[in-house]
Amino acid sequence: MASQVTVFVENKPGRIARITRILGNNNINIRAITISDMGEYGLINILTNDPDSASDVLSKEGFSVSRKYVIGVIMKDRPGGLADIAEYLNKSTINISNAYGFILKEGDKAVLILEVDDFDRAEEVIRKGGFHTLTEGELHNI
Amino acid sequence: MEGTYWDRVETIQRDGLKKLQLKRLNKTFERAKKSRFYRDRLPETINSLDALKDIPFTTKSDLRSSFPNGMLSVPQEEIIRLHSSSGTTGRATVIYHTRSDIDSWADLVARSMYMTGVRKSDVFQNMMGYGLFTGGLGLHYGSERLGALTIPASSGNSIRQIRLMKEFNSTVIHITPSYALHLYILFQEECIDPVSDLHLRIAFLGAEPYSEETRKRIESLYGLDAFNSYGLSEMNGPGVAFECPVKEGMHVWEDSYILEVVDPETGDLLSDGEEGEIVLTTLKREGMPVIRYRTGDIASVFPGECPCGRTHRRISRIKGRTDDMLIIKGVNLYPMQIEKILMDIPEVGNNYLIEIEKIDYLDSINIKVEVRPEIFHGDIIELENLKKRIVEDLKNEILIHPRITLVEPNSLPRSEGKAVRVVDNRSK
Repeated sequence: MASQVTVFVENKPGRIARITRILGNNNINIRAITISDMGEYGLINILTNDPDSASDVLSKEGFSVSRKYVIGVIMKDRPGGLADIAEYLNKSTINISNAYGFILKEGDKAVLILEVDDFDRAEEVIRKGGFHTLTEGELHNI
Repeated sequence: MEGTYWDRVETIQRDGLKKLQLKRLNKTFERAKKSRFYRDRLPETINSLDALKDIPFTTKSDLRSSFPNGMLSVPQEEIIRLHSSSGTTGRATVIYHTRSDIDSWADLVARSMYMTGVRKSDVFQNMMGYGLFTGGLGLHYGSERLGALTIPASSGNSIRQIRLMKEFNSTVIHITPSYALHLYILFQEECIDPVSDLHLRIAFLGAEPYSEETRKRIESLYGLDAFNSYGLSEMNGPGVAFECPVKEGMHVWEDSYILEVVDPETGDLLSDGEEGEIVLTTLKREGMPVIRYRTGDIASVFPGECPCGRTHRRISRIKGRTDDMLIIKGVNLYPMQIEKILMDIPEVGNNYLIEIEKIDYLDSINIKVEVRPEIFHGDIIELENLKKRIVEDLKNEILIHPRITLVEPNSLPRSEGKAVRVVDNRSK
């Protein structure tokens, strides 16, 4: 199962720089990063090649860090690719609380990262629909 | 014909005043001894005011521990009103008034207002909160006693305050200094010049400390005379001491209160001119006499006579407090009251800092809470709910509306020994 780390940060200059530098110094590669901005604070969601280490080093540096399982779905990088998955999830009444995506370096594929309320059911439904979900190992290697 | 003084007692000779005080003090002892608290603490009578210094003090914590009626000196059916501090349960203090107490209080306030120049023809807009807080009702009854047209506007609702001033040509206002400054911003937005467009001539500034500069600023912005007042609910509320037109200190109405200044550490009496803690004794209170009350307010007595002719001694502005009491928007509050509520919320624990600041001249409380790893689950809704819960609890328990700021772990100062959890950034 893939997972991301979510870090609590105050909205003040230099916080993203500090977090990403810590990860860089520890040889951790960032696949994707998103920010939920709440004004005076925000949550930074980071998808890395090594979530265990990412979580450890950020905690050691004094940050409040939370690990969250996410579903990574491989999709075709073409118009309507995302719509296919979204429509299917909607039909299966899977509620998405957050989503972001990125394109893979090689080939014509993209990855959609989903945060969902009911993780186990969602993963099963997605697999049954014939979509490929990423394992932790696969995420590490892309 | 209108006189300068409301009451002849204002200019009574000092020796006559002392005789009157001794007579009323002994009467006060007689009444107070009917209460559980004072029964065994007071002698039957004393022969000289000098003997008062041997009577034990009454403290805020005595008032709290005698809650609800340990100091009541008359049957409860004689009580017609109570006022209470905004304490959380168990920490509140309550003051009871008989009909005669309310009457005496109204008369002292009327005397104070008359002294500043208020007359029957005035229109008095009372912009202090009505309710358990004594600021609103105290001036209200005094103004009615004096015979001025009284508008019980209460606090808040700035647009309505401005409308009332314009529609009824208010000439006298009672307002906290910070609200007066805040309201001026609105006047500018409404393109109203208070000096030329309104009829204000007198303002009573009270309920919170402020500087001489602030008084001058309010006087020039509004084109009026601003007067300082002093009072505390334990001694009725407003009307304990008030400035006369000379504006050099506030006359303490010594026919109704005995004024002492003591060393806050030793409790020893200090002379006029020396700075110390104000100690007051009620002389006319029936329902709940309070003897040698440690107000916690630091001030000094002005030596010498006042050119206005009044013989009652004057006290300086309040210079500070002997304890950590805060005054937020005119309401007295102890940091412990806020801390108790915060500590009762497990997610907050000991990781908070209370900051007090001025925003547009109004007091604002900002509570910083650390988001420690133990309470962080990566969920925004959870964090927002925590903020809401803190605000609700504080609003319900002690009627303050703080802002909550979530901060990163270990970002709040850790002090050794007694933690500093309150930072007051307001400039006095």
